[in-house]
Amino acid sequence: MDVALQETLKGLFQTKLNREMRLYLDTCARCGVCIEACHVYASRPEARYTAVGRAEVIRRLFRQYFKAEGGIAPWLGETIALDDPTLEKVYEAAYTCTGCRRCMTYCPFGIDTQMIQSIGKLLLIGADREPKLLTMLAVKDAATTEIYTETKADFETAMKNLEAEVIEKWRSEAGEKAIPVGAIGSDVLYVALAGKHSIIPAAAIMNAAQENWSLSYFEAVNFGAFVGNPEKTQEISARIIDEATRLGAREVAVCECGTAYRVLKHQIGSQPFEVISFVELIDRYLEAGRIRLRPGTLEGRVTYHDPCQMGRNGGVLEAPRRVLRHLGAEFVEMEPNRGDNWCCGGGGGLVAMGEKDFRMWSARVKADQVKATGASVVATACENCHAQLSDLNEHYELGTRVAFLSSLVADALAGRGRSHPGG
Amino acid sequence: MAGWIGYFIMVPMVYIAVAVFVIGILARVARLLASPKHPFPLRLYPVPSSARLCALKETFLMPQVRAHAPLFWVFLILFHIAFLFLFLGHLDLIPGIHLMPPDSVHMLGHGFIGLTVTLATFYFLLRRMRGTLREISVLGDYLLLLLLILLFLTGDTVSWANSWNPDGFVIGKVEFGDYLQSLLGFTFANPRDLLPGSHYIVVVLHVLLANLFLILFPFTKIMHTFFALPMNRLRRG
Ligand code: HEM
Ligand code: SF4
Ligand code: SF4
Repeated sequence: MDVALQETLKGLFQTKLNREMRLYLDTCARCGVCIEACHVYASRPEARYTAVGRAEVIRRLFRQYFKAEGGIAPWLGETIALDDPTLEKVYEAAYTCTGCRRCMTYCPFGIDTQMIQSIGKLLLIGADREPKLLTMLAVKDAATTEIYTETKADFETAMKNLEAEVIEKWRSEAGEKAIPVGAIGSDVLYVALAGKHSIIPAAAIMNAAQENWSLSYFEAVNFGAFVGNPEKTQEISARIIDEATRLGAREVAVCECGTAYRVLKHQIGSQPFEVISFVELIDRYLEAGRIRLRPGTLEGRVTYHDPCQMGRNGGVLEAPRRVLRHLGAEFVEMEPNRGDNWCCGGGGGLVAMGEKDFRMWSARVKADQVKATGASVVATACENCHAQLSDLNEHYELGTRVAFLSSLVADALAGRGRSHPGG
Repeated sequence: MAGWIGYFIMVPMVYIAVAVFVIGILARVARLLASPKHPFPLRLYPVPSSARLCALKETFLMPQVRAHAPLFWVFLILFHIAFLFLFLGHLDLIPGIHLMPPDSVHMLGHGFIGLTVTLATFYFLLRRMRGTLREISVLGDYLLLLLLILLFLTGDTVSWANSWNPDGFVIGKVEFGDYLQSLLGFTFANPRDLLPGSHYIVVVLHVLLANLFLILFPFTKIMHTFFALPMNRLRRG
């Protein structure tokens, strides 16, 4: 690696050294309590798959270049230099970590491994060694702002076609406009993913609740966050912030995507609108009687997988359980659950990157956990988790059905709620 | 040991060590405070009803360690409590502070506090010698624990030696008090004249190791002493 690149990478590292990061880098006692926390280690016990093992790759660089120790006694902290073999280690550490932050619940100091790995991800971008697919997706996401005016008409036509499907399946719920787009003064701006599975059930539910809603032109997913690029993350979020502000939306409801939810809910600062997850919106409709569900649409035992970015890192924990109870099926918890739940193994961009082989062996504990519930339906509220759990279901022959909460609810819609005027 | 080396360790080096310790810690804290804050909260969910109380509890009782590494937790808690008492015990040597009777030949805890930290540190060292923990440890981790073990062993020896012979060789609270008083008063008196025991050499070694510990402290992971609470606050929001 040439000196210029080394200097660039040191500069990038430096930009990440805020107060919290310094605390996380300096304080680890290497006590090893976090070792057992990581699903990758639990599935294959190797030191490089522990939270502390991953963080040490970054810490050794930190000690080398940002601590006096690196100059005086590098052997004390066994520092490493920024070179090609190191970048390979950085890649392995960063992209075998899903950023689930389960290890943070074990650590006596609460060290955030996802944050430490964001240094690794930034160094890889600087060295042009990041997973190209994620960057491409991030660039594409950000670019939709620029091509927005050209694609607007196409988008509206596509939504017209989807409307037909909504009306066909949920005739009684669909209002005058089954999928309103870009409506000024909407109470709820719904931000979906690209697939229709993210739009149709949600539209049916909001129509049934007679919500004054509108669909966002932009996709919720934030590949900037996966690739660890703070500028792209903010740029991608800005499209939605601008749109919500322009339309005067009171609330932005984020579809079933954990990372999108966490970014918009917790990482964009205070805005003139509230951010909620779509699951919370469903919960609110059910609690207020704005929608009703037919009992018995869900047979057998159902369990719920807490998406890490939504549960442990986002705070949406009880709403999904209340929603599932409304469906009337036998509900059984995974053990552990909520903030302690095992990661599905698909986060951090791994699903988008493919990486099926790694995703399957590294999530053996997740498969075991699902199997132990004996559930015939695994509900979840995140696109990544859904994809990963579906792959696990097939790979480990779990014999369950993996379903989005929204689609379970939409399938059980029993018309408009009684308590709502006109219902 | 040449007299002047003993003198250097027992007097000037103590001042140097304390200065490095204090300035080092202040510099580390100042550096943190000067760094920009992270743009968004880093808390975990579910959030406890009182973030402050939860962070305090997690800092001092370490429930995570108890849940996931119970034996380690026992030694950690013993170690940290004993360490606190060790600090109090040393404070007690200063004339005017009377946690133990003024004429006591024993330190607070009659030597058992020292034994506790020694055993716990041995345990920390041994557990680091195998398995995954060995792979994630660096040389500095072992050297720090070795330094602590030697520091504690010499401390234990001083404490034990005080029970050898009550007439003449003992260095009790009064004598240590005189030494500390001379340090606090910057009299630069020769400690050998104040500490008459036959195990004086062990006292010198103990002070040497303590000096090293103080000098290194601000630059090691033991800074968690100050950072454990703020970090737990970050996790709990
Ligand atoms: C009175 C303040 C404290 C002092 C002087 C102190 C000192 C030490 C020392 C000397 C060690 C052993 C050295 C090592 O293994 O690195 C240690 C280990 C440790 N301390 Fe503390 N500590 C203090 C407070 C705390 C607090 C508040 C926590 C709360 C989380 C904590 C958590 C730990 C842990 C997890 C280890 C394990 C290190 C290992 O496995 O080696 N300490 N502490
Ligand atoms: S954040 Fe999750 S995947 Fe990454 S080290 Fe921690 S437990 Fe493992
Ligand atoms: S539990 Fe925390 S302090 Fe201990 S090794 Fe893991 S990250 Fe470091």
